[in-house]
Amino acid sequence: MVHRYLTYGLYGAMAAVLIGIGLFSGRFMLYMTMKVMILAIFAMGYNLLLGRTGLLSFGHAAFYAAGAYGLGLVSLHLSSHPLLGIFAGLAAAFVMALVIGFFCVRHTEIYFAMLTLAFGMMVFSLIWNLRSITGGDDGLVGIMRAPLDLGFFSIPLRKANHYYFFVLFFFLLSIFLIHRIRQSSFGLILAGIHENDRRIEFAGISLRNYRLAAFVISGVFAGLAGTLGTLLESNTAPFSAHWSYSAQPVLVSLIGGIHTFAGPMVGGLIFIVLREIIERFTHNWMLWFGIILLVIIMGFRGGVVGALSGFAKQKKTASTEI
Amino acid sequence: MKKTKMSRRDFMKAGLLTTAAAALGPVAFKPTGLWAATPNLKGPIKVGYQAVLSGTLAGYGAFHNMGVILATEEINAAGGIAGVKLEVEFRDSTLAAPEAIKNARYFVDSWGADFLGGIDSSGQALALAPVMAELDRVLMVTHAATEKLTEEHVFKKGIKQVFRICTPTYQDSNAAAFVAKDLPVKTWSTISPKYEYGYTCWEMFKNTLTKFRSDVSFIADSWAPFGTTDFRAHINTILDAKPQGFYSTEWAGELISMVKQANQAGFFEKVKHVMFPVGAAMDVLEGCGPELPDNVWISGRYFFLYPDDRRNNDWVARFRKRWDHYPAYVSETAYSTFYAFKKAVEESGSKDTAKVIQALEGMTFESPAGKRVFRKEDHQAMYNVPWGLTVSNPKYPFKVMGKQIVIPAGECFNRPPFEGPGTKPPF
Repeated sequence: MVHRYLTYGLYGAMAAVLIGIGLFSGRFMLYMTMKVMILAIFAMGYNLLLGRTGLLSFGHAAFYAAGAYGLGLVSLHLSSHPLLGIFAGLAAAFVMALVIGFFCVRHTEIYFAMLTLAFGMMVFSLIWNLRSITGGDDGLVGIMRAPLDLGFFSIPLRKANHYYFFVLFFFLLSIFLIHRIRQSSFGLILAGIHENDRRIEFAGISLRNYRLAAFVISGVFAGLAGTLGTLLESNTAPFSAHWSYSAQPVLVSLIGGIHTFAGPMVGGLIFIVLREIIERFTHNWMLWFGIILLVIIMGFRGGVVGALSGFAKQKKTASTEI
Repeated sequence: MKKTKMSRRDFMKAGLLTTAAAALGPVAFKPTGLWAATPNLKGPIKVGYQAVLSGTLAGYGAFHNMGVILATEEINAAGGIAGVKLEVEFRDSTLAAPEAIKNARYFVDSWGADFLGGIDSSGQALALAPVMAELDRVLMVTHAATEKLTEEHVFKKGIKQVFRICTPTYQDSNAAAFVAKDLPVKTWSTISPKYEYGYTCWEMFKNTLTKFRSDVSFIADSWAPFGTTDFRAHINTILDAKPQGFYSTEWAGELISMVKQANQAGFFEKVKHVMFPVGAAMDVLEGCGPELPDNVWISGRYFFLYPDDRRNNDWVARFRKRWDHYPAYVSETAYSTFYAFKKAVEESGSKDTAKVIQALEGMTFESPAGKRVFRKEDHQAMYNVPWGLTVSNPKYPFKVMGKQIVIPAGECFNRPPFEGPGTKPPF
């Protein structure tokens, strides 16, 4: 019980800090915080599949890019309304995840990982080669943040501090939704699949459908991250569909802890802030970044959040024993 | 009560002191000369510079950095810009657009940069332009060449914060067409980068050359993605088509790989007329060494043997003394960027973006590459760079330009308003 209130307190504090950042900090801080939140949405959705269901996908960048290009194309050719663009991006990610997932969830483990990798790279080469539609290597440029027109009033999003709250809204919404999904009976079945899929199958549950559902949900969250990222940067890059980009949510989840709910958020924060700090010291940032990530992943078993909460529990049980 | 109240005598003393300080101050502490009337310039002038420092094209970043450091050292040794110190931070742009945007935001919003410089790829430049309007700082592009940056973003959309100090695709394609029109070649081919820069150059080369000659045709093209190391398939595609002429905007490490592999395939014996618009880059000349054949047409954004005058030769000597290298064209554009900023700040007496833009527009200044003028309409620097035929010279451990042809920038650069008759060469 105490543990639960502590968790709620921590989330409340996080929301307060994020609102405080939105109200009082400079543009660069806002920009970096938005990057962290967007990566966290990407990774939290992804972790529904990796941590909860136990499927390692190497193709989720394809859905991120589907969101990004869906929004980009709609906003350049149809309407620049941000919600319409986000809806288009989510729809694109949904359809793509459904199609790719349909073929991938028939397999598990390394076969699943390789299949998602292959599909992801197919999407990447499509984006790369359909130059007349996607802009090829240069991506779509000049995507503007139009005001958020809600009929009776409109909110400008062009300035960083306005757009920040837009991102924050989707970030908190994602936390809420993913939390509900994990706690629902659906989420518990996913955990069951992870623990022992044979048993779940004996209970008369279709493994394939549940895996597909988890795959599509995580794909849609990746798409949401893609749309928000595109509005933030005002352009899309084909490399956002590349497998190296798919590795990001994997790494972030591992850093934070794949068996925890908050892990991907903490991982996203560490991933972006650490890199920013290292870049200020050396041009050789890739090397140092790699070494530090290695130490974190090997040093904290179960990720940073997993290790810390394990440590806290250990202390608690030790004190009750005494 | 008594203690805190100032007596009349104290008051007089303080008043006299203040007056004396005010009278003496400007003489004793303020710099004199051009910027004597600029009391509002405070603190160091900060320039954030980014170029590629990782991957196969990292050779370029190193040459950028040499120019940046040399300019900073020389300017600070001579008293800085308008009497204040110049500070520079250099970051890896990794050639990715999101990275360039993040760096720019870091420079302006976190580090407090007054000016930005650098940028290698056209894709990065196009993605960054709208961000510069938001950040409201001057960005001097020193390498990215796409004409869309200046024609569309600066001229049409009015993003006044972006300037370009290097020659754009006009030099790579329009000027190349001026050279190609006099060659005995009827069939042309290309292996070029599979992105904005490669496509736009080949398109422009074809259009301009067709205006000069109706008897040429373009029979083969092969597009190499960024990061290509194996060019053999591309080279075979071209050889199968049996063209008389070959034009390629491959650059840096990729151009070196292509030249070496083409040599192995006997490419240069079969295709006699070859043009490399950015072949005169120092990392390419040094990297290819004797493997770059003679009689290949090369150009760049600057070549260290042109112009053959005292200003340039002195600079090349200083550069060699400092780095033990000949300057690459990006070293020159990076170096000159700082002198452009220096002149603009000292003329406008401010580092305020709007005032600096005003000073830069139409500004003429001397640089190692010769006299540059920033065209007012599109912020493109107008200056001449030669096209030349490679030749071995015992003085240098690499090929240099022998026979040179200079097509003046005024003749081969597109002219505002960039649409309609009379805006594209030949004029």
